[in-house]
This record gives sequence, structure tokens and C-alpha cells, in this order.
Amino acid sequence: MKTQRQTQKDQTRKLLLDTAIVQLAKDGLITTKTSDIAKAAGVSHGTVFVHFPTREILLSEVIEEVGMRIASRLNELAGNGGSVRDILTAHLKGLSEYEAFYTRLVVENNLIPEKSRHTLIMIQSAISIHLNHAVEREVSLGSIRPFPTHLLFNTWVGLIHYYLSNADLFSPNHSVLHRHGQTLIDHFLTMISP
Amino acid sequence: MKICIACGMPMQTAADYPQGDMEKDYCLYCARPDGSMHTFDEKREGLTNFIIKTQGLDEEAARKTALEMMAKLPAWKSYFNP
Repeated sequence: MKTQRQTQKDQTRKLLLDTAIVQLAKDGLITTKTSDIAKAAGVSHGTVFVHFPTREILLSEVIEEVGMRIASRLNELAGNGGSVRDILTAHLKGLSEYEAFYTRLVVENNLIPEKSRHTLIMIQSAISIHLNHAVEREVSLGSIRPFPTHLLFNTWVGLIHYYLSNADLFSPNHSVLHRHGQTLIDHFLTMISP
Repeated sequence: MKICIACGMPMQTAADYPQGDMEKDYCLYCARPDGSMHTFDEKREGLTNFIIKTQGLDEEAARKTALEMMAKLPAWKSYFNP
């Protein structure tokens, strides 16, 4: 059984992680200061380093945690199969729930520590497996043209990443996926239809 | 809901388990045809090939990414922290 001290320590750690998720999404993965995370969490700056010895460790744990949450959510939404349209819809729904943080990850992925960079690929793997199954089924039915698997996926992801990384131009102050998601799905499906 | 110890995939229904066996701690993608779990080398190559096929990464970059993913998973942790 955990001591009261240990329970309190776990709670502070969770508070710091949850606060860091919000703060990093808002101010950027690279530029957010640990002092701002501490302030937002209502703890002293030193407390951050009791739980996470360096800023890099904190960043790495936050990215890993959010990555697992997104991957798990995508799997939950898309795991029951369905049409290509269903999977694309599930993909955008899952991403929209973490839109600010996911956008930061896309935009700053080549700036974050190397050991955290696999997280974006892990997230893509969680959805690509379901999309691939649906695509193979519909290609065999003739409702989609055949393409190399990775090019079809990267064409889709490239489209949504362009809108996400320029959200200030496409949808200032609102979710770009909510505003343009349906249009992007319709357009992509039209492009790959026979 | 269990998470596959070998690849991290959430396992929701019996269809996600090898031969529908929900007692297992790994998913159907991490099982050999006889139902036993992939070895470290099999999983590394399987994940590498999956990443190349579905996302088009360079082979070495894909293998490195596969190893970074595996380092976080319970089935393979001992290979990274002996």
C-alpha cells in the first residue's frame, strides 16, 4: 500500500504532466519554459526538477504520454473497421481531440530530441494499419484505385498536416479539422476513386 | 482493456488476440502461426517492414524507429536495459 507521501508525490507528478501537456501545446514544445509549467501548475520551479531531472526528460515523457493517448484513441475509434471514409473520419476525430498538441508535434518534430521522434511514427502506425485494411478491401471491390500503400497514406497525411501546420491561415482561432475536415475527406476520396 | 506487451496495440476484442485467446498478453500481429510470440529479431524486422510499407521510411530510419518503439514496450525492455 502506498504511503500518503508517495500518493501525494504521484499526484504532483500527474499534475505536472497534465499541465505540461496544455502548456507545451499552447507555447510550443521547444520554447515553453519549465518555470511557466511550474507557475501554471501552482508549484515551485524546483518541484518540477524533483519529478523530472531535466527539461528534456519532462518533454520526452509528455510526448510519450500524449502519443500513447492519441494512438490508443485512434485505435479505439478506427479499430472496428468500416469503409475508408469511416477510417478517415475516425482519424480526424481522434486527432481533433488532441489537435493543438498534435500540431506542435508535426511542426516541431525535427527539433525535438531524437529519442522522442518515433512518437509521431507510432501515432501514424496506429491509424495506417486500419486504413490499409480498409483500402485493400475497397481496392479489391474496385471502389478505389490501387496505389502504393505508403504513397496513399502519405498523400492523406500530407494534406491534413499542411492544413494543421498553417491553421492560422486556414482557420484562425478555431479547430482547422472541424472547419475543413469534411472537405478534406471528400476531396481525398474523390481523388482516389476510379 | 489489455495493451499488447510486444507492440503496444490496444486489444479490444477476441479478434485482436492470437487464435482468439484472450489469456495471451500479445496481439495477433505479434504471434507466429502456432500462436507463440515473435522473437525480438522477428518483431524488429516485422515492425521495420510495416513502417516501410505503410509510411515509406528509409530502411535504416525505419529500423531505428522500430527499436525506439520497442524500447518502451514491456516484452522487450530487458533487451535495452540488461
